Amino acid sequence: MKAANILLVAKRELLQILKMRSFWLTLLILPIALALGPVLGETLADDEPTRVTIIDRSNAATAKAIEARFALDETQFLLRELARYVERYDLQAADRSAIWTQRGRWYTPADIAAFEAAGGIDAALKAIETVRPGGVPQFEAPAHDYKFNAAPAALLAASGPAFDKAKFDKVAQGLLAKDPDNTNPEIIVLIPDSYPADAAIGLYSSDEVRGSFVAKLQDVLTADLRTRLLAESGVTGERAALVQTIAPTIATTTPPPGGGAREVLLVRSIVPLALAYILMMSLMLSGSWMLQGSIEERANKLLESLLACISPEELMYGKLLGGLSVGLMMISVWAGCAGVAAFATQGAIADMIRPALEPISSPAIIAAIIFFFIAGYIAISAIFVAIGSLADSMSEAQGFMMPVLLIILLPITFLLQAIIAGNDGVIVQILTWVPLWTPFAVLARLGLGIETWELVGSGIMLAAAIAVELVLVARLFRASLLATGQKPKLAKLLQRFRRPSEAG
Amino acid sequence: MPVLEIRNLVKQFDAVRAVDDLSFAVEPGEIFGFLGGNGAGKTTTLRMVLDILRPTSGSITLFGAPPSRRVASAIGFLPEERGLYAAMSAIDTIVYFGRLKGMDDALAKRRGLELLERFDLAGRAKSNIGDMSKGMAQKVQLATALVNKPDLLMLDEPFSGLDPVNQGLLEDEILRASRRGAAVIFSTHVMQHAERLCDRLLLLRKGRKRFEGTLTEARAQLPARLNAVAKADLSQLPGVSGAQPTPGGDPEWTKWSLQLAAGVDPGQVLEHCTAKGIALRRWDHQQASLHDVFVQLVGAEDVAP
Repeated sequence: MKAANILLVAKRELLQILKMRSFWLTLLILPIALALGPVLGETLADDEPTRVTIIDRSNAATAKAIEARFALDETQFLLRELARYVERYDLQAADRSAIWTQRGRWYTPADIAAFEAAGGIDAALKAIETVRPGGVPQFEAPAHDYKFNAAPAALLAASGPAFDKAKFDKVAQGLLAKDPDNTNPEIIVLIPDSYPADAAIGLYSSDEVRGSFVAKLQDVLTADLRTRLLAESGVTGERAALVQTIAPTIATTTPPPGGGAREVLLVRSIVPLALAYILMMSLMLSGSWMLQGSIEERANKLLESLLACISPEELMYGKLLGGLSVGLMMISVWAGCAGVAAFATQGAIADMIRPALEPISSPAIIAAIIFFFIAGYIAISAIFVAIGSLADSMSEAQGFMMPVLLIILLPITFLLQAIIAGNDGVIVQILTWVPLWTPFAVLARLGLGIETWELVGSGIMLAAAIAVELVLVARLFRASLLATGQKPKLAKLLQRFRRPSEAG
Repeated sequence: MPVLEIRNLVKQFDAVRAVDDLSFAVEPGEIFGFLGGNGAGKTTTLRMVLDILRPTSGSITLFGAPPSRRVASAIGFLPEERGLYAAMSAIDTIVYFGRLKGMDDALAKRRGLELLERFDLAGRAKSNIGDMSKGMAQKVQLATALVNKPDLLMLDEPFSGLDPVNQGLLEDEILRASRRGAAVIFSTHVMQHAERLCDRLLLLRKGRKRFEGTLTEARAQLPARLNAVAKADLSQLPGVSGAQPTPGGDPEWTKWSLQLAAGVDPGQVLEHCTAKGIALRRWDHQQASLHDVFVQLVGAEDVAP
């Protein structure tokens, strides 16, 4: 075999693919999709709070209690997020005595009252601003889930002294159904005038009500009813309130942000999983070019002209090398785009990428990644070439391609899900040792951690399998080259693998 | 030393013997016609010479050695089934094949442009093959076979699909290659081209050689025919194996259609007539055509009209 001929064929394959519009579309589609994703996500995300109106006909201050409870929960969530932000960027110096600089604290109503009394989120952000270094993003307060609005006039009128339940239902449903300027309530809560004697609370909504809303509403009303019941039983109001609010003080101990067990696992597995995904994506996308390249000479009837100059093996290896160059080029561009994105955003992505790069930062692991990536590409590409050598046209080849792709890809999707779930059980172990899936399994497992002996052993096995595969595919390729129009039966096909070289 | 020497070549495909005990040799500068009908074994033989197929038995010697791609730089080949990369330009295609034959880029490009100029395609050098007519693409493919100035040019049914102008161009290229010393082998089942071009011929039928020799030798395979007008009865002349008289307008003179026995020279028969004082008004000697020889040796169903 002459290396010069292999390189010539590879160069031609590469240039041919680079001339295709579909290549450039494929190359750019992933970065564009990733760039547009967050923008579209933000555009499509519904971050407007749900408008809620409470009609409290009982005048028992129940509406106020409900609103207060929702406000308390939201402030509690705000405090937790603020504390995580402070911890992530080491901003405790802003106010070491503030509750939002104290790690692992579960915020009680008293804490929240103290926070509000100290000026709330505005005062906290002002203090943080004095110590926030450049490059650390500003804190973004989570959006409110619910906004409690006064009742529209029509609803007030319908809930007045001449209250008629049927009429009220109609007005409420009318308001929920027609809302041209997005100002009407999306949820209406009706507390009857005889509450608490009549504890049948009406809940009207334009859409499915979130379970958390109903649970919280029920929580407040249940507590209220119990307090009243305790009062009737002779327990004083204060004592009854204590019974309702008594709760243990829970101190939570979790790893720091980006370091939680599952979070750590995910963050460490981000790059390895992405590598396995990219290998899969690039193979799927470039597979059709490989197939087309493999069929081209047969379809265009120029095989004999070529085989008069070069051997079938040189042609096949040239095609494989060309396909590999295209795949590596695509991956380099995608990795470059990711690097640019990380550099451009500096904050969040760079912050996340730092721990994500930890498991793949040693030279040995980088070498292993390059080996498994290239080996994976060659192993699967050789299958595409074999498929191409059996078909006379692209449509015929695609018929073979689909089931083969499914066989290759389905276990990989299961494998990636298992890794995301932190599971490296028997299936993952098996896939690591089956050469067809070894590259994907090993790449994906680098985040979870893979034993050195497994890495080396599966690598050796993969290399051996590729050597055998290339010999067999070369035989098939050679034997099938001039058999245009012949549809071999299984026995004949197997003979093509077995038979010693017929063509030179 | 012959450029190509084939001895007792056999190629068996399962139950089919495609080439059966074939032997021949081609010398430098010789134009060798490889004639036979469809399925005669011409393409299979050429593929074995190119080392695309391996013989079942027998030997092939190419430039003094067994066939291999080490001698690809000395061979030009135009297959029967023709096609090129549709998305490649004409000049890039020629350069690509030139480089696969071991030429450097600059030389391949220079020769490619010269060939395109000669083929009246200089203006289309950068056009993609897919944008060219079939005839133009065939000329580009011929250029890929000629770019390395081969010492052995093998053309498999080169005239099929070409219009008369391009057939003439191809004939010129075959003669040009022969003049510079290249051996040219071309297979065909169109006898006119073979008659015009070939120094020697080989007739193949179902893998077996039926004839090998010059055009004259080929014609001599069939008895010569004579048309004569004489007063005497010519059926009794020595060497005449058959005679058909046709009455003419003049009752004294008879038109004769004579068939001579194999190997009999028409000149000897004429000499005999003169010696015997047989009066003749016409003596028209018709030699057998290659078409007739082909039909006789290979079969009528295998010859192109």
